[in-house]
Amino acid sequence: MRKRSLIHSLLLHAILIGVSLTMLIPFVWMVLTSFKTPGQAIQLDPYVFFPTQFQFNSFIRVFTTNNFLNLYKNTLLLIFFRILCAVVTASMAGFAFGRLKFKGSELAFSLVLVQMMIPSQIFIIPQYQMISKLGMTNTTFALVFPGLVSAFGTFLMRQAYKILPKDLEDAAKIDGLNIGKTFLYVLAPLTKSSLVALSVFTAVFAYKELMWPMIVNTSKDSLVLASALAKMKGQYVANYPELMAASLIACVPMILLYFIFQKQFIEGIATSGGKL
Amino acid sequence: MKKRSLRSATATQTFLWGWALILPTIVGLTVLNIIPLITTISQSFHKTGDFGRGNIFIGLKNYQKLFSDQAVLQSIINTLKYTIVQVPFSVFIALVLAVMLNREIKGRGAYRTIFFLPMVVAPAAIAMVWRWLYNTEFGLINNLFNLKISWISDPAIAVYSIAIIGIWSDIGYNMILFLAGLQEVPRDYYEAADLDGASIFQSFRHITVPMISPILFFVIVTRMIAAMQVFDTIFMVMEQRSNPAMYKTQSLVYLFYQSSFVERDFGYGSTIVVVLLVLIMAITAIQIIAQKKWVHYN
Amino acid sequence: MKKRILSLLLVALFVSALLFASGDAEKAKAASASKPLSVMIWDSNQEPGIRKIIDDFTAKTGITAEIQVVDWNNYWTLLSAGAQGGSLPDVFWMHSNESQRYMSNDLLLDVTDRIAKSALIDPENYPEDIWSLYTYNKKYYAVPKDVDTIALWYNRALFDQAGVAYPTDDWTWEDLYAAAKKITRADGSVYGFANVNSNNQAGWYNLIYGNNGYVLSEDKKKSGMDLPATIEAMQWMEKMINENLMPPQAVMTESSEDVLLQSGKIAMTMQGSWMLPAFRDNEYTLKNCDIAMLPKNSKTGRRPSIYNGLGWAIAKNSPRTDDAWKLVEYFGSEEGQLKQAQLGITMSAYKNTSEQWKNSVPQFNLQAYLNMQDDMVIRPFSRNTVKWENAVLDVMLKVWNKEMTMEAGCKEAARQMNAILAEE
Repeated sequence: MRKRSLIHSLLLHAILIGVSLTMLIPFVWMVLTSFKTPGQAIQLDPYVFFPTQFQFNSFIRVFTTNNFLNLYKNTLLLIFFRILCAVVTASMAGFAFGRLKFKGSELAFSLVLVQMMIPSQIFIIPQYQMISKLGMTNTTFALVFPGLVSAFGTFLMRQAYKILPKDLEDAAKIDGLNIGKTFLYVLAPLTKSSLVALSVFTAVFAYKELMWPMIVNTSKDSLVLASALAKMKGQYVANYPELMAASLIACVPMILLYFIFQKQFIEGIATSGGKL
Repeated sequence: MKKRSLRSATATQTFLWGWALILPTIVGLTVLNIIPLITTISQSFHKTGDFGRGNIFIGLKNYQKLFSDQAVLQSIINTLKYTIVQVPFSVFIALVLAVMLNREIKGRGAYRTIFFLPMVVAPAAIAMVWRWLYNTEFGLINNLFNLKISWISDPAIAVYSIAIIGIWSDIGYNMILFLAGLQEVPRDYYEAADLDGASIFQSFRHITVPMISPILFFVIVTRMIAAMQVFDTIFMVMEQRSNPAMYKTQSLVYLFYQSSFVERDFGYGSTIVVVLLVLIMAITAIQIIAQKKWVHYN
Repeated sequence: MKKRILSLLLVALFVSALLFASGDAEKAKAASASKPLSVMIWDSNQEPGIRKIIDDFTAKTGITAEIQVVDWNNYWTLLSAGAQGGSLPDVFWMHSNESQRYMSNDLLLDVTDRIAKSALIDPENYPEDIWSLYTYNKKYYAVPKDVDTIALWYNRALFDQAGVAYPTDDWTWEDLYAAAKKITRADGSVYGFANVNSNNQAGWYNLIYGNNGYVLSEDKKKSGMDLPATIEAMQWMEKMINENLMPPQAVMTESSEDVLLQSGKIAMTMQGSWMLPAFRDNEYTLKNCDIAMLPKNSKTGRRPSIYNGLGWAIAKNSPRTDDAWKLVEYFGSEEGQLKQAQLGITMSAYKNTSEQWKNSVPQFNLQAYLNMQDDMVIRPFSRNTVKWENAVLDVMLKVWNKEMTMEAGCKEAARQMNAILAEE
């Protein structure tokens, strides 16, 4: 019996380590390449795996030709406001859909469901035209625009409110609280874990968005990390160390945040899936 | 008498509060989603002028053009190819990993952290590295294993190479969702099965899968919808004009982007995306109907 | 405790975010003189040099400017997005492919009067051909920036290793073919030549005109891709493709020709004069490579170079047209143009500045580029250049990838081109 479980265990770990390597190697390669000279990156005879000296030139060049501080700022603003909008509007609507019975709520909720089923590209052109007409391209508002309300968030929060026990509401009623106050002071605080989940989910998807930021914020100052990388793609075709350096600089903040808030990240995603 | 008025007062109050609370979301959805949906469908019946000026109504011409447009038809096939490979693999591998990590083993937290890492990194950056890894001449893969494969320029395999990037990125995310679902499955079921002499595979098939079928269903449906919208990776990894594999790899959304924002023909772009919508709805509908056959809700 | 810290952090984030956001709004409102002009270009190789010129301009006038580089493939997408959204950069490069569209849609500032009043810009000093690219209804909409020609870059080391004599001014395309054949190694480690399908201006276009064919008729109404002379010229390229004297298309799409030259993978390639900074700044090419004129056509004796010239344009609705004009004027002035040449950025449009450019990198035989000016053909363009150009490139991709014969490809390209031209 012991032997069997030992072999099992070894096999298990072998597979897990194998998968871990597969996950990590691209990142390792990104780092190694960013420290090479452009010549080393395209050297074939012999192939350069590890740079002999760690060159910082690529990083310097990338940093000086791109305002990364600005990129971080724009990306952060995008994430922050998306989270804010999602949490506020989704909580309100989630509570109303989840706990109140009123005329038209079914029809209204079907709108939420419809949006969730439709690919976002359907909305892109008209949204872009709206922003253009308002003259609001290249602003934070433009970035946040498609996420001003969140159908997914509403759905998630509705589930969260639905499973809360009814006695709390009754108790609040007896205490003389109106619906609004019941929502804000009694029930909302109990949805914390779902709110965290929603925030994480919103943050990750806002950060990864490419097409929308690329078309709506085109001037240098208003780019986000994703669109700035896309812009660099053709430019540095010959200079892979710089390309990798840029990618690295774009990744690092998020990776750091991830390592610090790991628990919240992972639990957030788990909850957002689990609640559905 | 008093009771009746109280009830109707409460009902009115509820009505007012209800609508007040959902108003921002509903207004938002209407302005941001419902109106654009109608606009896009309407635009698919128009031809767009330079710089978005002057739309001309042309009826179904865009649709006629689309159904005889080989590139679009091919892109539908490409999108389906991508989806059929990316989703099952990323789901299956993630499920297996989740099962493995569902026990108290050493380093569990570390593994979890590592597997989830790709999810956190911007697709743009991921695409950049993989593009370099896949490079026929200078890439790590070909040079490490002494190969000469054109991963992203060979029309026969490029779409699958792109799918591999997608699988690699999604495994962690799917795994986390499955882990959450697995943790809901009571231990006793497995113990009972073990006592009855069931093998690992039998337990998996008859206990695990049915118990987590709701979350499995959710993951498959959402990942499929996402896979059908693939764009970022293709855009970042392959060059439009010179890559011989592009024709057999470009997805519907990629063509949508080309039409709408590169060629600035919003009319035709809208047509493409309407077709995508119909495709996604059809596939999702099939899946929802099929769920009765295999998904067990408590 | 943790909760407190977290909530404090959140508040701090919120507040700073609001501050940033309001700062954003303020920035947008104030088109003040302290804000830098926005300059958009597509060639990262030229950026450092142009940066220097801007710095000199700032030293003189106190006006600052910021460069944004967007690669060629995305440049026009971004620019037209900006045009439609009402937010074009102040100053940007204009190109013959798109100039007609931008001018006819009234997006560029009319600089005719400013040129007339300017002491620094006299139309006499720039090639007429380039002016015509940026003239519409007899008005000027951009200031010429440069001219470019095409020449042949070759790797001396690879020639030496194969025991082949270097290209000379008497070379014909047959000579190039023969040399490539000797240098190409069977194991695929070295190829004699490279020209990717999408490199038309600096590549196969030159072959066509050398054989007295053409891509687009003079009246811009008809394609010349199916002319016998064109097909004949292109079949030289077909030979190079079929006999594997060039890297496979898969390799050429992933790594551009300059990368292939820099990594010692290819012995020869045709490149535009704007690529000088790229090869000057790479140690391998600086040491091992040199330039020769394009080979002659043995039948016609012609050795044309496609040429083009970019223009500095100003957005019509830029909030700072006067400052933008000052910058563009400086770019176009003799001083600015000389600097551009001396820094080896590109061959300036201003007459008699080429000598300076030639001397900017003594290691290379830049005279070859100057000599190519003896027979120049302006890059073919029309109102909807991009549309038919892309269609042609897509067809050529099939030929390069050995899916189609050159003859069939040329005929199909002509067919598609004519269909698009008919819509103009």
